[in-house]
Formats: sequence, structure tokens, C-alpha cells
Amino acid sequence: MDLPISQILFYLFALAALVSAFGVVAFRNPVSSAMCMAACFGFVAAIFFGLGAEFLGIVQIMVYAGAVLVLFLFVVMMLDVKKEEKLVVSLPAALVGTCIAAVFAGMITNVSLSLPGATDCCPMAAACETPANVQSNTTPNPSKFGGPLAAPKSGERSDTHILGEMIFTKYNIPFAILSFALLSACVGTVAISRKLRQD
Amino acid sequence: MSPLAHYLIFSGILFSIGIAGVLIRRNIIVVFMCLELMLTAANVSLVAFSRAHGSNGLPDYNAQVLVLFIIAIAAAEVAIGLALIVAMFRARKTVDSTSLNSLKG
Repeated sequence: MDLPISQILFYLFALAALVSAFGVVAFRNPVSSAMCMAACFGFVAAIFFGLGAEFLGIVQIMVYAGAVLVLFLFVVMMLDVKKEEKLVVSLPAALVGTCIAAVFAGMITNVSLSLPGATDCCPMAAACETPANVQSNTTPNPSKFGGPLAAPKSGERSDTHILGEMIFTKYNIPFAILSFALLSACVGTVAISRKLRQD
Repeated sequence: MSPLAHYLIFSGILFSIGIAGVLIRRNIIVVFMCLELMLTAANVSLVAFSRAHGSNGLPDYNAQVLVLFIIAIAAAEVAIGLALIVAMFRARKTVDSTSLNSLKG
């Protein structure tokens, strides 16, 4: 059984993302946790690239591995968390947390495997070599969650082009409301973190 | 290419690691990082569904716009949450979440 390179890359990046996500939970030092988080987001961005969502991959790297990581590191350095490293996690709490997470993971795995059409198809367009199915899949079928997609035609508009067109036409008003949400978050952050007057 | 179920399982395991971190860790900054992991897991499943549920050779871009909105809201959430953590540290001189017990009867 020979795997195509895109599939190998997906499993590689998924494994690396899961290992670094585990590192976020396992490391004692919050700076190591933040670095693991950045690595995990980088690998997830690679998976986005593999799924053909280049714009979202770049946004993921810029926003998460850039801005959010810097914010986290800044707060970790601003607060004195050196003495927190000695914190002991109680064994019952760790056990209960692990059990709940494991049950949840098993549940999601079961649901994903029993989705109609989830296991016998490929979500990646370019790697699908089933040209006979391409014509039959021009309309989305609600009872089938996946199916071979047509390969993107070369010379057509790019992913970013279509996404931008969609944001500024169909989703223009939600996009504008989102900018107000970001603005109010900015103002709220300043209001929360400034020092209170004593009078 | 990998079937859709593998992407969903990856997303579910990532989400579960986030849940485990929120439940186990006591350092509230790390708890916050695990919340970000859970948001990212949701984004992965959305992008996978967008790829699998497309038509005419194009992915379903509604899902990708939703992912963009989630990333923007997550950025706002990080800013506000870290400001709250800084305010908590000023009031309590610790980032241990078990120290937030003043409402306990």
C-alpha cells in the first residue's frame, strides 16, 4: 500500500500537532507551554495549507503564532510566575480530567467514523484521482458529508480571491460588525488593565 | 488523500487535549492556552468540512469565512482574557485558579 505524499504529510503534521498540544498541558514552565502552543498552531496551519486553504493558513500563523503568542509571552514575563512552577497537580484531578477527555475523544472518533461517506472519500481536491465521480458531485448532497471533489482548474481565481470576494459581498455586514467587536475588545482591554484611581 | 473522518478524529483529539488541560492545570495562563487549542480544533474540523462538502471543484467558502470570524473573535478573547488575568494577578498576587474562592460559602 503506497500512500500519496499529501497523506503522509497530513499524518506527520497531525502527529506533530498532537505532540506539541500535549506539551502545552505537560510542561511546568508557562514559557515552554507557550512555545508548544505556537508549534501546534504552526502545524495546524500546515494542515490548512494541505486542505487548500492557503489564506487561512497564513492568517493562522500571523494571528496565533504571531500576535497571540507575543501577548501570552508578554503576560508571562510581566507576571512573576517563577514561584508557580512548584505547583503540584493533585492526582485525582488529573485522573478525572484525563478520563473525561478520553471519553470525549472516543465519542468524537465514533461519531466521525460513523458519518455517512466520511471514510470512503478524500477531502482534498487535487489528490483525488477519480475523474468519473467529478461530474456526479457538482451539487452538494446533504446525506453524504464527503465525496471526491473536482480538481481546481488551473488559471482560475485563487483561494484568497474567492474568500475576499465572499467577505466583501455576502458577509460584508457581519465583517463590519466584527470590526466593532474588535474595537470594543481593544477599549475593554485598556479599561480593565489600567490602574484604578484611589479617590 | 486522507478521508474526512481522519481530519475529524484529529480535531477531536486536539479538542480533548484542550479539555484535559483546562481540567487538570491550575495555572490560569496555561488554562487559557488550552482554550485556544480547543478553538483551533474547531477550526480544523470546519476547514475539513468545507473541503469535503464543496461543489463544482471548489470548497464551501461559507465555512472558511466562519473560520476567519472565529480567529478574529479568538484574538479579541485573548486580549480581554489576558487583561483579566493581569487584573487578577494585581488583586491576588497569584495565577493559581484555586485561589479564586472568595465566593465560596
